[in-house]
Parts: sequence; structure tokens; C-alpha cells
Amino acid sequence: MQVMDQRGQAVADAVLTLLPDGATASDPDASASSSAASPATHTIDQRDERFVPYVELFRPGDRVVFRNSDNTRHHAYSFAPEAAFEMVLKPGESSDPITLPDAGTIAVGCNIHDQMITYLVVADALRQGKTDSRGQWQADDLPPGHYRLGIWHPQIRPAGKAQTRELDIGSASQSLQVRIDLGPDPRGSGDRERLDY
Amino acid sequence: MTFRARLSLFLLAILVLVQGITWAMVYSATRKASIAEGERQLSAAADAFIEQMEDVSSRIAGSVQVLSLDYPLRAAIAQRDEDTIWSALRNHGRRVGAERMLLLDLDGSIRTDTAHAPGDEPAVAPGFLFPGLLDDVYDHPVAAVVAIEGRAYWLVVVPVYAPQPVALIAAGIPIDDKLLQRLQRLSALPKSIELVASTGIGPPQRIARGDASLDLLGAARSQAAALPAQPALTQVGEHEFVLLSRPLLQSTSDLTVTALFGYSLDDALRPFREMTATWALLVALGLLLGAIGAWLLARGVARPLESLTAATARIESGDYSAPDGVPEAARHDEIGRLSHAFQQMSEAIRERESRIRHQAEHDAGSGLLNRPAALRRIDQQLSDQRGSTTDALLMIGLTRLPDIVKTFGHAVGDRLMQASAAKLQHDANAVLVARAGDSRLLLWLDNCSRDGAIQQAFRLREQLSEVIHDGDLRLSLDPAVGIAVAPDQGSDASVLAQRAEVALFEASALDEPVRAYDPARDPNRPERLQLMSELGVAIDGDGLALHYQPKLLIGTGRVAGAEGLVRWPHPLRGPIPPDQFVLLAEETGNIRRLTRWVLAAGIAEARRWKEAGRKLKLALNLSVRDLEDRELPRHVANLLAAHQVGGDALTLEVTESAAMRHPDNAIGIMRQLADLGITIAIDDFGVGQSSLTYLRRLPARELKIDQSFVRRLAENMEDRTIVRSIVELGHRLGFTVTAEGVEDRPSLDFLADVGCDLAQGYFIAKPMPGDAFAALLDDVGRAEKADG
Repeated sequence: MQVMDQRGQAVADAVLTLLPDGATASDPDASASSSAASPATHTIDQRDERFVPYVELFRPGDRVVFRNSDNTRHHAYSFAPEAAFEMVLKPGESSDPITLPDAGTIAVGCNIHDQMITYLVVADALRQGKTDSRGQWQADDLPPGHYRLGIWHPQIRPAGKAQTRELDIGSASQSLQVRIDLGPDPRGSGDRERLDY
Repeated sequence: MTFRARLSLFLLAILVLVQGITWAMVYSATRKASIAEGERQLSAAADAFIEQMEDVSSRIAGSVQVLSLDYPLRAAIAQRDEDTIWSALRNHGRRVGAERMLLLDLDGSIRTDTAHAPGDEPAVAPGFLFPGLLDDVYDHPVAAVVAIEGRAYWLVVVPVYAPQPVALIAAGIPIDDKLLQRLQRLSALPKSIELVASTGIGPPQRIARGDASLDLLGAARSQAAALPAQPALTQVGEHEFVLLSRPLLQSTSDLTVTALFGYSLDDALRPFREMTATWALLVALGLLLGAIGAWLLARGVARPLESLTAATARIESGDYSAPDGVPEAARHDEIGRLSHAFQQMSEAIRERESRIRHQAEHDAGSGLLNRPAALRRIDQQLSDQRGSTTDALLMIGLTRLPDIVKTFGHAVGDRLMQASAAKLQHDANAVLVARAGDSRLLLWLDNCSRDGAIQQAFRLREQLSEVIHDGDLRLSLDPAVGIAVAPDQGSDASVLAQRAEVALFEASALDEPVRAYDPARDPNRPERLQLMSELGVAIDGDGLALHYQPKLLIGTGRVAGAEGLVRWPHPLRGPIPPDQFVLLAEETGNIRRLTRWVLAAGIAEARRWKEAGRKLKLALNLSVRDLEDRELPRHVANLLAAHQVGGDALTLEVTESAAMRHPDNAIGIMRQLADLGITIAIDDFGVGQSSLTYLRRLPARELKIDQSFVRRLAENMEDRTIVRSIVELGHRLGFTVTAEGVEDRPSLDFLADVGCDLAQGYFIAKPMPGDAFAALLDDVGRAEKADG
């Protein structure tokens, strides 16, 4: 599966979710692996005034830790109802793990550096993943059936609205190209204050 | 209009015209340039204004964006703390000068409006007025000039990130007139700016203006429906503007806000107007100088013409007095040449006129002043002196001159005249010498008394009497002088001259050298003329009387006849002396009438004598004029026939000088009379210079010895000799001889001795009326009878 933007460029960090037809994301039956895997702790690095990675996928119950790898202080905040927090990390400091119990998309910013943003996507689909730098993601061993594909990206337009697509999966492997509309990269190249229009 | 005025006016008019055209051209060009410059500057200024507006927009947008990054605000928005949001928005809005702040949801619906306090929102939240502005809000901050409720605002919309977009903040910052005025002032170009909103529905609406006194929008719309995209010249109120509109870049598709720029042409032309004032001053100065110059130039032409005109008028009136009277002849231009030519002409005229005048005033032959000119000059002097001095006019008669001219010709006569005049001029202190006639010179001595004039006249006469040598000729003029003195004898030159001539004639007649005028002897005096007219009346009205003086036949002592002598018993003046009125009749041409009266009266008396049986001979006098009267013999014949009187009863007496006057005529007439049987007698014989030869040709038969020889016969031996000789000569030539003027016995005796035939005189009898004569004859007859 490959995700392209409106200009035909490969889109990295696009979140793709696959749910069997009829199931919802929160349906425990639909989450093929959620029950199987134990909660994991993901580290979001703060490096070169960026959150790395830009998008991180979580399963409900997973934990997240922010780590400051720069020589400056960093701030991390979220007003998301799923996980509202705010913290200041000194250089080299890591935060306490924060548990993300509910599915949702949590945007995390740094109040010191406006261009720093990361998205913590908490989902519980049958299969979920994000595209690599070539815009590709592969789901293996999918049982044949009718699926609903969710496609999301921080810059997707209309803003925040995930695209969905119905598709039938057979036994043979198949490839799919999805095209989405993207807005500007909020991480930008400089400070938003100095942004000219 | 004079030439000068016309010329000046013409030059000034040209000056004004040229200046006016130049001004109009410069004004037109300046105006055109001003408009072009205005258009160019306006375009540039409009661009600058747009840029400036956008610059300001950008700054405002930046400010609003900074505001949107405020963490507590973001927190409040993210946490939907509405009260905090409202107050924070209002607070932050003030920081950027926003009048109104809106918080929009990402879908564009209004969440918070600072115009409405929390809890006071309208029931139905209105949608955002300018959804078009939201399209690019995530790409860049949006700032646009919009109209809200008729007012202009900068509307800035920025997203609120927390950290992803959660809402939009819209800030409305008013653009009021004051701000626009400030922008206007900051602008390099003097211009007015209006902001106009057009929604596409209804007419464009002005939302702000920098100059409250102007209505650029109204003016622009009155000219064209659309606002001028290109600079357009438009009348705004009373002024001219160049108008240009430019849409503001930040306008949205829903609403176009246009900036309308006005560039005042009046302001642009103000420097030119100031220059125009200077120019007008220069033109006025030029006009003044031009007027002076034109006037001077015109005067340079016109004044010579005027003075030439004046000179012409002067010459016309005969005044050539000023030799430089012709003006401007010294100039070297055309006028100078004209004046020079004019001067030459006037000199030629002057010369000709003086020649003509000289000819008119001078005698051609002698070159002397002529009589009329002399009289004019004398009159001039007399009127100048006004009788204050005594002056004398001398009339010098060169009595021999006519004979000399006859003999030697006019050239010699003229030369003598000239020579005499030169002598007079030289010797006498004469003011004036002129030729007054063929043989007369006129001399004017001013300040000279009568006696002085007489003395002077004698002296001059002596000098003129000297023998004159003319070539081989030796001539003497034998002049006589008549004198008239002013003012006693006239204050008028012609009168003086005439009287001097009278005196001269008198002198000539009396053979005297010098004679001053005597009014009593003037034949032309007025009383004489009066007398003459009375004489005419007397002749016609038988107012005369014929008296008879007996003629004694010496041998027998009997009265043989009588001489009829005319008498005038004037009713008022008494008896007038015969020689006085006879002379008067002769001089005034009445002598023939007098003679005819005498003849008629005499012959009538002769008839009476005849009827009375008296054998008497009547003697009547004929004048010199009568001998020119060819009718006289027939007239006498008629009278004789009428009265039945024989010619032998009549003697007609003719003076020696009269018979000599016109010998041929006189002899013819005398002969005709003699043929009638009439005896012709030579009267006053002896004083004339008749030659005996001539005497023999006359048909006369009687000589009457002049009484000057007879009166003193008693004592004067010479007279006795003359009388004896005349009697002897007369007898020998066959004449009867009569002696007149016998006044005493010895004379009568002497006459008897020498054999004189007849005697007449007071001693015998005085002249007497006809009846007295008849009575005398009767007495004599009785005496003779008595004597036996």
C-alpha cells in the first residue's frame, strides 16, 4: 500500500488502519492483536528541536515517555481530552511514562518551540501502521474479507478528518495506492511568528 | 484717431496678442505636463499606497499572530473556557488596536464575538461574513481590508494552534478617516484618498476618506459608472483632479475594497499660477515699456508729420519767416529726407514768391518800387506811427521826361528815372523812393514838417536839375515838386499821393518849382463836387444868367456888339465867380452843357436884338473842350436857324491855347463854324506861344489882345509896344483886333491912336444883364439922336 499526496509525492507518516467490515475500532473482537500484546512504552525523542517521530502509533494502554536529547529545555503539552498534560524537560531528562488508555489522536506541542509537534495516535484496529519514507506500508497475513481502510495524516485536509475506504481482500497479495490531500507541514522551516505569507 | 494713436495701439495689441498666445501655449503645455506628471505620480503614489497598506496589514497580521500564540489563550481555547476566551480576546485585541475580535471554529462558525459579552450572544450565531478569507488561513495569515457596517476595517484571520489548529481568531482593526489622513500626510504626493467598498450589489460605498471636504467617489461616478482604472481628469466640485482607483490586494471575492486617489491639478498648477502672477507683472511691465516705446516711436514719426503740417499751414498763409522752419530736416532717416525735400520746396516757393512779389511791387523798366507797393508801405508806416509824427509825401514830376522818352526811347527814360531815384535815395533822408507814374517819382520823408519838406524839395529839385550825362547825351529834367503832409492832409497814403499830385499839377500849371498842397485850391475838394452838382441843376433849370459887356467900335464910338459872359447867381452862396465854375465845368466834363446853354441863351438874345432892329454882333466863348465836339457846328446851325439869326451876327471866341490844343480837329470845327458865317475870334491873344504860320491856317478873323497887355497901357511902354505890334500885325494879316481890359481913358486913347478896331473893358462898360444892356443901347441911341 502506498500513500501519495496531491502532488504525487510519497507521503510518510500516514496512519493506516484496517478494520474488518462491521467492526468498530473499539470492538475488542476486531482488534486482532490488542489482546495478544502487552502494553508497550514508546519514547518520543526531542532532538534538534523536533519531536521524533512525527507520528507514533499506540494501542490503548500503551505508555509514552518524552526524552530531551537537546541542549535546550523543551516543553511538551497536550490539551487533548484523551491525555492532557504539560511538562518541562531539562536537557537529557526523560519524562515519566504517561499511559494512554483511550483511542484518539493527541497532538503534542512545545510551547518553547512552536514548530515542534508530534502526534500520538492511539488506535485499536485489526491492523494498523504508518507509511515509511517511501509512503509504503505493508499488512501481512490478512484474512480475506471485506475491510474498511482508514487513512489519516497530521496534515490531511479537510483538517483532522480521516479518510475511509471499503475494500475486499482476497487470498492473494494485492497492492493499493491511496491519494490524499495534504496541507502545509506545521513543523515548517522556521518560526511561525516570522512566517510570511 | 491720429496716426500716433493708431500706431501705438497696433504695437501694443501685437504685444498683448503675442504674450497672450505665449501664455496660453505655456499654460496649455504646463497643464498637459501637470496632468501627465499627475497621472504618473498618481500611479506611483497609488502603488506606494497599496504597498504601504499591505505593509501595515502585514504588521497587523504579525501582531495578531503573535497574539494567537499566547499560551494561556490557547489553553483557554483548547479547554473551551469561554469567559476567559472573551476577556483575553478583548484584552489582546486592544494590544493591536482591534475594535472587534472574533473566535471562529475551524468550520468558520463564530464561537466568540467581543462585540457581545458572554451570555449575551444572539440566539442564532451568525456565520462569518467573509468565508472566502478562510480558504488560505492555514497557509499564511490572512489580512484584508473590509467594510463592516459602512466602516473600513483591516480584518486579520489567524489559526490558533494547540498545537494543531483548534480555532481561528479574527481581528477587526478600524481604518478611520484619521488614519487615512495620516497616511495621506505621510505620502510624498499631495493627494486625497478614499476607500470604496463594492460588493457587486448596489453602488460602491465610501467607507473612509482622507479629505472630508472632497467627494472623489461622487465625482468619479458622475463621470463613469466604473471607477477609473487609468488616471482620468475629473471635475471635483470646483476643482480639477486626476482620479485613479486601485483595488486593495487583500480584498476578498465577496467584497472589493478600492482605493480612490485624487490628485489636485490646482495644487499641481499652483507653482505655475505663482509664475503666472510674475508673468503678468512682466507682461504689464512689457506693456508699459512697449507703450512708452511705441509712443516714442510713433512720436518720432507723427511729430515730424505734425510739424510738417504746421509748416505747410504756415507756408500756406505766406509765412516763410523761419529758415529752419521745416522741422526734422537734420534727421538722417526717411522723415529727414522728406523734411529736407519739403524745405527745398518751401525755399523754392519762397524764392519764387519773393520774385513775384518783387515784380508785383516794382516797376519793370526802372526796377523802382511801384506806386501801389509804395502806398502799401506808407500806409503800414502810418498805421504804425498812428499820427504821432509829421511826415511828408513828395511827388516829383520830371516834366521833361515824356519828351525825352519820345525822343530817345524808354530805355533812356528808365535810366534817367533810375538815376534820379538813386540821387534822391542818396541825398535825401528818404525812407522810400518809388515810381508813381510815367514821369513822376514819389518820395516819403518821415518825421518831416511841412516847412522842412519844402526846404528839402527845393534842395532836391536843384540836384535833379543838374544836367545828367547819359552816354553822349546831356539831359536836364526840370523837375517840379508837389508836397502833401501827413497827418494834416490825410492819414491815408493814396489820399496823400493824390494831394501831392494835385500840388504838383498846380506847380506845373503855375510854372512854380515847388508847391505844397492847399486844400482850398484842390479841384477835388468836396465842396467843389457839391458845387458841380448844383451847377448841373442850374444849367438844366435856367439858373444861370448871361451878362453882356459892350464892345466899342473905337473909330466911331458906337457899340458894335457885346461879349456874352455867363453868370451864376447862386441862390444860397450868392454870385459864384465865373472862372471858378467855368473851370469846374471844364474839369468835370460839364463844359459842353454849359456852352450849349450859353449858345442857346446868347442866340435867343441875338434874336431879340434883331427883332428890335439893332445891328449888333454877339460874341460867345468856346472852351477847349468845345473844339473837340464834332456836333457843335450842327448844333449852332440849328440854333441859328431856330432863332432866324444869321451867322454873321455871331462871334465865337477861342483861346489861343485851345486852338493850339488839337489843331486838326479844332481847325475843322472852326472852319465849319466859319462856314456858317460866324466870325471866329482868337481870345487872350499874346500869352500863348502860337506861331504866326499856324495862326494863318485858322479861319479866324478877329484877334482879342489879352487884357494883361492892355490893363497898364497908360504907363507901361513895353505893353504899348506889344499892343501896337499886335494891332499892326493883326491888321496886316487881315484880322480885326479887339483890346480887352480897357480900364482908363489913356488906354482907350492909345488904342485909338494905334488903330485898334474894338475895345472892351470896365472903362467902357461892365458886363450887364440883357435888359440893362438894351436900356444902355437905347440911351446911347437917344444921345446920338440928340447929338444929331
